[in-house]
Amino acid sequence: MPPRSCALCNKARAILKRPKTGQQICRECFFWVFETEVHNTITEAALFKPGDKVAIGASGGKDSTVLAYVMKTLNDRYNYGLELFLLSIDEGITGYRDDSLETVKRNQQQYDMPLKILSYDELYGWTMDAIVSQIGKKNNCTFCGVFRRQALDRGASALHVDHIVTGHNADDIAETVLMNIMRGDIARLGRCTLICTQGEDTIKRSKPFKYAYEKEIVMYAYFKKLDYFSTECIYSPDAYRGHARAFLKDLEAARPSAIIDIIHSGEAFEVTEVIKATQKVQQTCKRCGYMSSNYLCKACTLLEGLERGGASPSVVGLLVTTASELPFNGLSLQTNRMQGKLDAVLISADNMRTIPLFQTPSTLRPPMSTFKEQLSSSTQSQVIIDPIHLSTLA
Amino acid sequence: MPADGGKNHPRHERVWKKVTVCYVEVCDVFPEMRDHTKDVARIVRSYDGFDFVPLRIQDAFSSDWWDPIAGAQSLEQLGVDLTDEELRITVNTPLRPASSVEALRTHLGSLPTTTAAASSVQTFIRLLLLHTAVKTGSSHLVLGTSLTSLAVSLISGVSQGRGFNIREETQEEWEPDQTPREARESKDSTLPRSQKEKHSVRVVRPLRDIGMKECAIWAWWMNIKVVGQEKWLWSGSKQDIGALTRGEFNLHYFIFGLEKDYPSTVSTVVRTCTKVAPKGDAAGRCALCARPVQEGIQEWKSRISIRTSSHLVSKDAHQLHTPPSLVPFLCYACNATMTSRSTRPMPTLGPSAVKASIIPLPKWAETRLSEQEIFRTELMSEEQKKNSLEEFLLEDPE
Repeated sequence: MPPRSCALCNKARAILKRPKTGQQICRECFFWVFETEVHNTITEAALFKPGDKVAIGASGGKDSTVLAYVMKTLNDRYNYGLELFLLSIDEGITGYRDDSLETVKRNQQQYDMPLKILSYDELYGWTMDAIVSQIGKKNNCTFCGVFRRQALDRGASALHVDHIVTGHNADDIAETVLMNIMRGDIARLGRCTLICTQGEDTIKRSKPFKYAYEKEIVMYAYFKKLDYFSTECIYSPDAYRGHARAFLKDLEAARPSAIIDIIHSGEAFEVTEVIKATQKVQQTCKRCGYMSSNYLCKACTLLEGLERGGASPSVVGLLVTTASELPFNGLSLQTNRMQGKLDAVLISADNMRTIPLFQTPSTLRPPMSTFKEQLSSSTQSQVIIDPIHLSTLA
Repeated sequence: MPADGGKNHPRHERVWKKVTVCYVEVCDVFPEMRDHTKDVARIVRSYDGFDFVPLRIQDAFSSDWWDPIAGAQSLEQLGVDLTDEELRITVNTPLRPASSVEALRTHLGSLPTTTAAASSVQTFIRLLLLHTAVKTGSSHLVLGTSLTSLAVSLISGVSQGRGFNIREETQEEWEPDQTPREARESKDSTLPRSQKEKHSVRVVRPLRDIGMKECAIWAWWMNIKVVGQEKWLWSGSKQDIGALTRGEFNLHYFIFGLEKDYPSTVSTVVRTCTKVAPKGDAAGRCALCARPVQEGIQEWKSRISIRTSSHLVSKDAHQLHTPPSLVPFLCYACNATMTSRSTRPMPTLGPSAVKASIIPLPKWAETRLSEQEIFRTELMSEEQKKNSLEEFLLEDPE
């Protein structure tokens, strides 16, 4: 049987079958379609503008490694005019994160990008190993997810970036849609298929790989000989997401387009206006200043629980339920009754660790309009006033 | 005055004056499946005042069933080419199946995946019931969907790309397409207005808040005779791969498994799906499943995956005749049903099954497409161009 030619260029020999479309294509055409689809995703959503500083959430895994490579390639090829950074979070998982961080450091050298690493230990005083030893493995992903989200924003703020991009791929988004339906998380269901999310005081966060199949990312990394770390998080097997993932794999085997079909479904519906009106308004955490829909943000709530100790499964359940934004099943720590329950099971501790105050990124702070405001924001000794132009000079 | 208000009190009136029980038998699809029509008929006879309408799944391809509903004889015999992603429509295919059973088996047996076939069976049953409800003059179509089966069908719908129609899974007010007879009657000024008004059917699911096990316990305690339902099995397939639980790829097992560790998963799924609404406008109705089609599907698909190279000249540009495509008339899910191919070979529907590249369409789809202006694109040859200008040409340009 003669070798089949590429379905796209009709010249070279086809050496792979695209998981997304089933087309049999050559290597060069695969690189071309993969990169062009990501480029189309970026341009059609108008994710960036020239001069933007973009932090790439890098874990050392295949998604972020390929993302860093593709972002650099597309930035050069299409002159996006972006300044790219690598931002990595060390959750403190022995035998998992320490190895993958070495991969990120190699990526830094290979792609010549500045790298910032922020750890849970320095930010919260707790590593994931310590958290899991305290609360067990059932709800640990909630802690990690909440802590990581805030850590990424804090790291990006420290780098003064305008935008964070993460390597979430089509499989992740499809899993998230299913998971949010099964758990009843309507707030997350309404935004999990958005390619770009931004709150009032938070940095923009985008997913250029939204329509890229995980298998194709692996294929791309393989053919490009990209260096990545491939082990699953040791604490994830018991995560709820694992159920959605297993189901999705089963679906995909029976119907390859299932992943894109689920994303299409997620984009085709929206939360009704009646439900939107009942959702909580965003405010800032009264302890650390990060965005929050309650008096305290989720990270502060969870950290308080850890710090005060005595985290029995029922207490963890209370903390996780408040952290997971379930509008009707959620329990609010703000009620005196719930606080009383929590106090009854927790041991109070003095000198409890708290998260440092979150400084809103300078690009998101409102411009100061009056001379008085400018003066009050600085000390006398740091300001040289130009009485004619009323501008501050360093 | 009696305590209950007396014999003539409105509370003793029936909610619905006339009840018709409709059963769709599917045994002709699956080999070795028993025909349960007589069992169902016997149970219906035990209820006072219920009419019984038995249907067979192959009626979806039967002129005998469809022509009285449409009020006109079906003329066009349309087929769809499954080998082309554009799903080209062919007219009066020479190799048309002889009977409706054969047409059904050809259609289902040629689909690319078992999930596609199972999903199509569900669609045919639904449309057969809806059209029968309209034909019998019914105002409501009552389905026995329990909370559990509703959760399964919602997740199944989402998994197949039916997010835009998620609302229709829980509540639906359905109107048929205007039939040729209705089109004629609407222009007839002598007919009363009531006869010209379109008939709609409200689909209700009274058991949607009751779990499957609760329904089973109630039926057992009330000593209700239940016919039961056989699993749909594909001939020649392994039990663990080919067996479909009600056509939803082991979805039942998945949901039940979750329910053990996370109780109330079933009710959570249903409750969540009732909180969402379709986004954007509908652009017509799907020719196959008769549900609203979301705007911009084809643009979305072409945006997210590249299937042709821009420097590759399409063969179509040089074809003299380009048959019309079925794709613009389908919703996202029906399109994916016909085009999404599995790496696993599709098990057969038994020795009598026929696999074909061009498959017949159900009757309602044929009628709908026949009435549409399906544009056929045709490259004009030099001869044709010259002929159209003949009367204006003073001399031969060559």
